[in-house]
Amino acid sequence: MSDVPLDQSATRWAGKSDAETAEADLNFGNVPPASERDQDDPDVRAGQEARLRHVWAEPKGWRYWSAVNNTEVGLWYTATSFAFMLFAGVLGLMMRVQLSAPDNDFLTASFYNQVYTLHGTVMMFLFAVPIFEAVAIILLPQMLGARDLPFPRLSAFGYWCFLIGGVFVCGSIFFGAAPEGGWFMYPPLTTQERFSPGYGPDIWLLGLSFIEVASIAAAVELIVGTLKCRPPGMRLNLMPLYAWYVLVVAGMILFAFPPLIAGDILFELERLFNWPFFDPERGGDPMLWQHLFWIFGHPEVYIVFLPAIALLAMIIPTFARRPIVGYSFIVLAAVGTGFLSFGLWVHHMFATGLPAISLGFFSAASEAVAIPTAVQIFVFLATLLAGRVIYSVPMLFVSGALAIFVIGGLTGVMVALAPFDWQAHDTYFVVAHLHYVLLGGMLFPVVAGVYYYWPMMGGRRLSDKLGKIAFWLMFIGFNTAFLPMHWSGLIGMPRRVWTYPADIGLELPNLISSIGAFIFAAGFVTVVWDVLRPRKGEPYAERNTWNAGTLEWLAEVPDEAWGVRSVPIVTSRYPLWQQKNFMADVDMGRYYMPDAEEGMRETMVTSVLDAEPLQCLRVPGPTFMTMWAAIFLGAVFILATFHLWTLTLITAVFAVAAILVWLWRGTAMQPEKAEKDVGLGLKLPLYKSGPQSVGWWAMFITMTGDATAFVSLIFGYFFYFTVSPVFPPPMMAGEEIGPGVLWPLVALGLFAASWLAALLARNTNSKGAVGTARLLMGGGVVLSLAASAAILWGPYVTGLIPTVHVYPATVWVLAIWTACHGTAGALMLAYCLARSLAGRMTPTHDIDIVNVALYWHFMAGTALFTVATIALFPLAV
Amino acid sequence: MLVGAVLIWVAVIGLSVFATKIRPGAYGEKAGLRLIIWGGCVFPVVVLTALLVWGLQMMPVLRAEANGPTIAVSAERFWWRVAYDVEGESGVARSLPEGGVPSANEIWLPVGQRSEFLIGSPDVIHSLWIPSIAGKMDAIPGRVNRLVVEPTKPGVYNGVCAEFCGDAHAQMALRVVVVSPEEYDAYVARQSEPASVGAEDEGFRRFMENGCDACHTVRGTAANGRVGPDLTHLASRRTIAAGTLPMSPENLATFVGFTHRVKPGVQMPGYGMLAEDEIAAIAGWLETLQ
Amino acid sequence: MAIRNKTRDNLWTLITTPTIWAVHFVLSYGSVAYGCAPNENIFQGIGGYRIFVGGLTVVALGAIGFLFFRALGEWRRNGGRIPHEEDSVEVRERFLEFSTVLLAGLSFIAVLYTALPAAMMVDCR
Repeated sequence: MSDVPLDQSATRWAGKSDAETAEADLNFGNVPPASERDQDDPDVRAGQEARLRHVWAEPKGWRYWSAVNNTEVGLWYTATSFAFMLFAGVLGLMMRVQLSAPDNDFLTASFYNQVYTLHGTVMMFLFAVPIFEAVAIILLPQMLGARDLPFPRLSAFGYWCFLIGGVFVCGSIFFGAAPEGGWFMYPPLTTQERFSPGYGPDIWLLGLSFIEVASIAAAVELIVGTLKCRPPGMRLNLMPLYAWYVLVVAGMILFAFPPLIAGDILFELERLFNWPFFDPERGGDPMLWQHLFWIFGHPEVYIVFLPAIALLAMIIPTFARRPIVGYSFIVLAAVGTGFLSFGLWVHHMFATGLPAISLGFFSAASEAVAIPTAVQIFVFLATLLAGRVIYSVPMLFVSGALAIFVIGGLTGVMVALAPFDWQAHDTYFVVAHLHYVLLGGMLFPVVAGVYYYWPMMGGRRLSDKLGKIAFWLMFIGFNTAFLPMHWSGLIGMPRRVWTYPADIGLELPNLISSIGAFIFAAGFVTVVWDVLRPRKGEPYAERNTWNAGTLEWLAEVPDEAWGVRSVPIVTSRYPLWQQKNFMADVDMGRYYMPDAEEGMRETMVTSVLDAEPLQCLRVPGPTFMTMWAAIFLGAVFILATFHLWTLTLITAVFAVAAILVWLWRGTAMQPEKAEKDVGLGLKLPLYKSGPQSVGWWAMFITMTGDATAFVSLIFGYFFYFTVSPVFPPPMMAGEEIGPGVLWPLVALGLFAASWLAALLARNTNSKGAVGTARLLMGGGVVLSLAASAAILWGPYVTGLIPTVHVYPATVWVLAIWTACHGTAGALMLAYCLARSLAGRMTPTHDIDIVNVALYWHFMAGTALFTVATIALFPLAV
Repeated sequence: MLVGAVLIWVAVIGLSVFATKIRPGAYGEKAGLRLIIWGGCVFPVVVLTALLVWGLQMMPVLRAEANGPTIAVSAERFWWRVAYDVEGESGVARSLPEGGVPSANEIWLPVGQRSEFLIGSPDVIHSLWIPSIAGKMDAIPGRVNRLVVEPTKPGVYNGVCAEFCGDAHAQMALRVVVVSPEEYDAYVARQSEPASVGAEDEGFRRFMENGCDACHTVRGTAANGRVGPDLTHLASRRTIAAGTLPMSPENLATFVGFTHRVKPGVQMPGYGMLAEDEIAAIAGWLETLQ
Repeated sequence: MAIRNKTRDNLWTLITTPTIWAVHFVLSYGSVAYGCAPNENIFQGIGGYRIFVGGLTVVALGAIGFLFFRALGEWRRNGGRIPHEEDSVEVRERFLEFSTVLLAGLSFIAVLYTALPAAMMVDCR
């Protein structure tokens, strides 16, 4: 790299906007390869910048909403999450008004229950988790020097799902129809019509299931983004800590959300069709929901907490003016917490009467998880100790976060001990604990992040003065509100009470809490004002205003849509500090991909361990198709809520069609040439299939999540086996019990055959035998449809009635799950066949069939486990 | 535990202030790593191991075998059905034992003995919690849970439902009365007696006329409903409506007349349509059920 | 020795030790829950299941210990030194080895913690 300083006039390309540039001037397709161009020539750079700017420009007018680029989608995502957060905050204040005095009647019992249910639900599902996805979608590509995430349309789809589902769930309270069973939705209170009439629980379940889809989509996107879209040279040991956290958290989402989806399926089948999964009178057990919910629910706390800690791991080194001390320890802590957090779920069930020895395991894991958490805190302290700290508003919020979170962590260690928890459980002590953890561990760091990153997002620094005022209001208000709750909980105030009697000592702590809540709210409103207030006259912040060391601070002020001017070679953890002349070289386009020669959006794909360049990935641009897919899919969930079955089916067909159109037009596109010069003499392929391609990874990761949901259903089967005295239940008069052995085995055989067909189709296709491959794909479609029918035929022909007992219901659920996946597998093979016939899939361009074959591996496993469970297992017991 | 927590908090925050304000930049990376290893790894492992061992050894002790009476507690929306001296066992896929001496919303316990509650529910999940006496235990449909309590001081204690169970969750309380074993035996014997009711009593007549007997039992009379609380010795209890109001004729009348204003969500219909003197007669009669 | 010295670390080897913890945890809890279900005879000892957990613990600790010393040995022999921030394949390998050592330590403690309840409690009460 040369040491020529940055020529500002060249990068500010004569002030012309892309609207003024006709496409003809941009010379798309007629530009010499990047390696042959002289980056020191301002004209060359000006042309490159014009092309990049044109290619990455956000759509104009109403088409703006078809944008899929991470900067736009991330911004919408963040703004929407904060909007939901403010809504839930108002609900929280309503609760505090109601509880400010004993025997208050500001809210009725029923409305209070709706308010507290939505407060918890919205804060957890519509703020805490989505804000992670939102921030990661904005920051991750910037931090990795990537132009975009690998699947921008998937992000957009996730966002629209989130928006629709969120508005649906929140809107219900304006019709008095919101769920009122708590954010944990324990059956049988919520499943049985006699306790919960109306649509409340359905809105909760279907609305949130829909949002869970969005979360899993984001997880897929972020895992692939972190592993495959790092800049060349950014080995695992050089990755920004934020990326480590994103990787861990997205992995956790993949294993935490599917059990809840499985639980949602069982729950909704009970509500809609009276299948008795949680009804003890017909063999069900309400405890299964608690297991599935908390297998999701506890990791979720860490899914919320870790990304916020990740922000601290970025902010603290910047203001300590040194690299983090103990990088490996953070990796240990993130990965360790990610694992251990899955061994804690029963600590939410300490009072359910499980054997003490079982509780002991979870108490042990709950204590163990405190170790990596402590490590993280001490890594931050060590970094502060070894650095020379500059104080600033973000650091103020960081200190506040630590002070609050440590209290929450310490009370967490207490409630992890079952004997203590038997007292504290379901009281305001726990309310205090969880708010200390979540606000100290999430909200304060996120606000610190807002103050830290706003100069990058909005171009200007937020006000120091308002920031300080906001911090002290929030910090004092928070502690005033939540510290007394420890006390009121221990003297006997249970959670989720809409009122409490006078003269048992609860008036004063509750009044103090209510006052504190309003002080806190005032502080938060100050932050919102600071962000939203008009600041036309204010000057832009300098670029990299805090003088940080990581790649996201390459962002220009005001921002350019292209992300990075050229994709840099990274050789250190803090390139802006440690690599000489780095920013200038990036800006001069001296690294990779300084141009968009063909007028396509491109980003670089690299290898997992050492980030060696593998591919120049073309990413798709704006489309409305993702929005349509989300709208139709949302309609499926919403219509199902109100039992409008015909319309549900019609919209389901539309949703599938929209997704197919989106895939057909936007994925596995054949490039006009096999490879491309990306600069510095490097040629990269434009098309890749198999384990090196991002699509293969996405399929693999998605199916891992899918398999987790399936395993959760299998877990349900064996859970009932364990808790029931006899399972499967003894023969009911004259009826054959179970799905039989014949038909499930027939189904298994057919599934195996279609699996083979898919694999052979992939192999023959890549060998050039296109005709044979097409035949195999067609055959696979027929076979898998037949297999899906056969797996359903078993329980049907033996007359298993799912409403009678939990056993037939469980068998049916597994059979239906498998049949649905078989049908999806058939659809995928048919899609490949159509792609092949249309010439969009060829022996060399075979992403479609390679990924579908991968799907079929999972499908074959699903069929095997289903048949082994429903047909063979009963023979063995 | 609290003192330890405060000390740790002060140490951590003190350290961060020290590092940033008092001696910034005085230490190098070596010192930082030592801090991580000793403060972040070794110290928590030692403390957590000690806490865990202490917590684990306590669990079986708190669930030791009982040597006092066995009392069935059925948590129902939104009150507590109590039966003294039952025979039964805890477990999954079981239901609470029948029989015993019935009562409701007030539990008497002998001091110094380990009594055993068998806890179940016919409707939704509840949780029995008597803060000053023991930790909580959920009442889960389809399961019978067990809670051993060993009160050490005579007195009257408050208990509540700690698991959200619907609208009147906040008003599902109870009183626990701890007395000497002799008093306890005498109390249970008294509760097992039928009520002494004159059939010509005005209040009783009204009670039967308005169908109260469909849900309530008054042993010794024709009233034998099983839906609501047993009223045989209603007036001997300290509260009405599951710990919501103190026992008095006025409060009884208020509850009969304005049921849902007192306790929203309860199954009992309000009898506000009855004439005031009729309600007063019923309340007056209930007050005699000592 | 020569072969063990050349183990290529990657993300999968990094998470092997916590995965061992997870398997140990699930099997311990699963076996005891099965042994105690459906909570009859709560004062009867479940010695067999506890021995099973004990055996499992020995195996898990052995495996984690082996991986710990494998990674530590490779790290030491090849001159591993934190903070692992140089740009080379070797340093990336050392970084993964060192992180494996740390995770193995945490997993070791977590497995011991998981074994404690089975060691300290004798029945299903």
